[in-house]
Amino acid sequence: MAELTAFHFHPGASLLHTLDVRFKILSFVLISISSLKAYPLSLSILTLVIFYAILISYLPFKSILKELRYFFVLLVFIFIARAIFTPESPVADLKQSVVAWQGIYSGALVCWRLLLVVLLGLIFVSTTKPSDIRIAVEWFLTPFPFIPGKRVATMMSLIMRFVPLILDQARETVDAQRSRGVENRKNPVYRLIKLIIPLMIRTFEKADKLAVAMEARCYSEKRTNKALSSNRSDWITLFGIICLSILLVNN
Amino acid sequence: MNIIEVTNLSHRFPDGTIGIEDITLSIREGEFIVIAGRNGSGKTTFLRHLNGLLLPDTGAVRLAGVPVSRDIPRARQMVGMVFQDADSQIVGETVFDDVAFGPENLCLNECEVKRRVIKSLKAVGLIDIADQRPHLLSGGEKRRLAVAGILAMESRVLVFDEPFSDLDYPGVRQILHQALSLHKAGHTILIATHDLEKVIAHADRLLIMSDGKVIMDNAPEVIIKDVEAFGVREPCASRLGMEIESWLN
Amino acid sequence: MNTNHSIQLRKTAYASLFAALIAAGAYLSIPIGPVPIVLQNLFVLLAGLLLGSRMGLASVSVYLLAGACGFPVFAGGTGGIGRLLGPTGGYLFGYLPAVYIIGLLTEKTGLHAGFDVIAMCCGSVVIYACGLAWLKLLTGMTLNKTLIVGMYPFILGDALKIAAAVPIAKALRPIMRIKD
Repeated sequence: MAELTAFHFHPGASLLHTLDVRFKILSFVLISISSLKAYPLSLSILTLVIFYAILISYLPFKSILKELRYFFVLLVFIFIARAIFTPESPVADLKQSVVAWQGIYSGALVCWRLLLVVLLGLIFVSTTKPSDIRIAVEWFLTPFPFIPGKRVATMMSLIMRFVPLILDQARETVDAQRSRGVENRKNPVYRLIKLIIPLMIRTFEKADKLAVAMEARCYSEKRTNKALSSNRSDWITLFGIICLSILLVNN
Repeated sequence: MNIIEVTNLSHRFPDGTIGIEDITLSIREGEFIVIAGRNGSGKTTFLRHLNGLLLPDTGAVRLAGVPVSRDIPRARQMVGMVFQDADSQIVGETVFDDVAFGPENLCLNECEVKRRVIKSLKAVGLIDIADQRPHLLSGGEKRRLAVAGILAMESRVLVFDEPFSDLDYPGVRQILHQALSLHKAGHTILIATHDLEKVIAHADRLLIMSDGKVIMDNAPEVIIKDVEAFGVREPCASRLGMEIESWLN
Repeated sequence: MNTNHSIQLRKTAYASLFAALIAAGAYLSIPIGPVPIVLQNLFVLLAGLLLGSRMGLASVSVYLLAGACGFPVFAGGTGGIGRLLGPTGGYLFGYLPAVYIIGLLTEKTGLHAGFDVIAMCCGSVVIYACGLAWLKLLTGMTLNKTLIVGMYPFILGDALKIAAAVPIAKALRPIMRIKD
């Protein structure tokens, strides 16, 4: 469970907390995509913007770094892979692998871009209530004719309800089987089957009960529409973000 | 006034087994009723007819005069149900969101939803943890949250299906206290259980079910000596010939 | 009379449950040998077998959408688009066509264990194709190296998962009883 709680909403009252979610999602997507095209000069500008955003929203910087530790391992991996496998002028010959300036440069660039995208995601999640995200998703999906936005939003909140239930159930099942000596069985297929069948039967029962409980509480897709409201600062921010993305893409 | 009227109610499951058979009874507004019987005696099946989760094969259930099957949304709103497994009836990611689920389904406007949620959370004493994630609550708190979810729909009848299972002593007292204060506020309360000990001191009326039928229907003190024939344990104090005391004392 | 609505609701709950199983599967593993078997893609295979093509696709789509919006459903807790664009994002996107193909194949062939295995093999190939292509593009590795890093270590685990999925699906199909 600890892993699941790491990446979450920090309450606050900063500009980022009060912006309309829809504008935040738009900005988030725009910058994420355009940063993939950006080069060092504009990436530096974006980095400054992101650090400024972290500063003004009073996010706990230390815990952010801690939450990203797993991601840093991946970055190092990508960097090494890029540095080794990008051809052209070698600077050092390490047995068989050839390290080239070209490779170091392109590796650093890819890692920098990915780090910024992840930081952006982190800022977004930390400053936005989960229920607001759901409402925004519903709003964005409404114009699409074949996608039931309300159902998607309901499903998203059900997912977040089910995950801890499943993990608890899995722990209980594993403990119960361990106490009956399942570890003596070396056949992995046997152990997969013996873990998953009871786990899924129990969670399906829960899903069934949940469906009945939702019915008892009058669930239907015709329900209260939650209103989102935007004001001038939202539009100004969005305009700023669009300018920034154009800058990122054009260098 | 009779808020619930059940006439000749029978229900068979698709596989042919009998769920309940020929139940006729009426419930006055403001009664506190305990329904007891062994597992599989039809308590849950009966209760699920009250808000249209199950529909009768024969017979009818009327809520304040209107048959349940004619207006199911009204039945669901009037008869709120707290299920046995508190964990699997919580829908929202936060306590507040979960309580709002019912009123949102009734298409109320946002202000009204908010007003009702706050009022219900205050009534069950969970207002201070409105932003908490439900998964982290204790057993008693989870069940109180389920009660709040129903209060927010302004149900007149509250049905509890085995509300005391899996609860520790403080949890039982919390729920009992909650049920009593709702009863005092004018709600009609139905509690299904196989464990009379915890609740019978407060009931006006006791129904004993067996094999899908209502076998006994009377004031608890009249029939309490006879319940053991139907798989329900007679409370200790009653066995010893003493007066049954409330768990709240 | 309200059964239509009930079935619809139950389907929604099951699809959400599978999305949640896929999310939880990233945290669940069975410690066997040096590389623990992570259960995430097993649940993707099972979603195809048990939910069928359309609901399976809905389930995985909502899972990815929730992740893209920043809900912590991906391994390591790092939600958000960054994760989908990261080196392992291709595998996640590969779940979409995979679950649809598995569902479609089992629906077309009637529920038979042999066809289940074929369907799951096809699905796994699709997941690897998407995952490896993206990994190669992002890291610039040669095809050979990409396979060494992104496929060979996991093949044995995947074979075991497919072997386990057949009896699991057989045991669970009667319980789910979703009627169209």
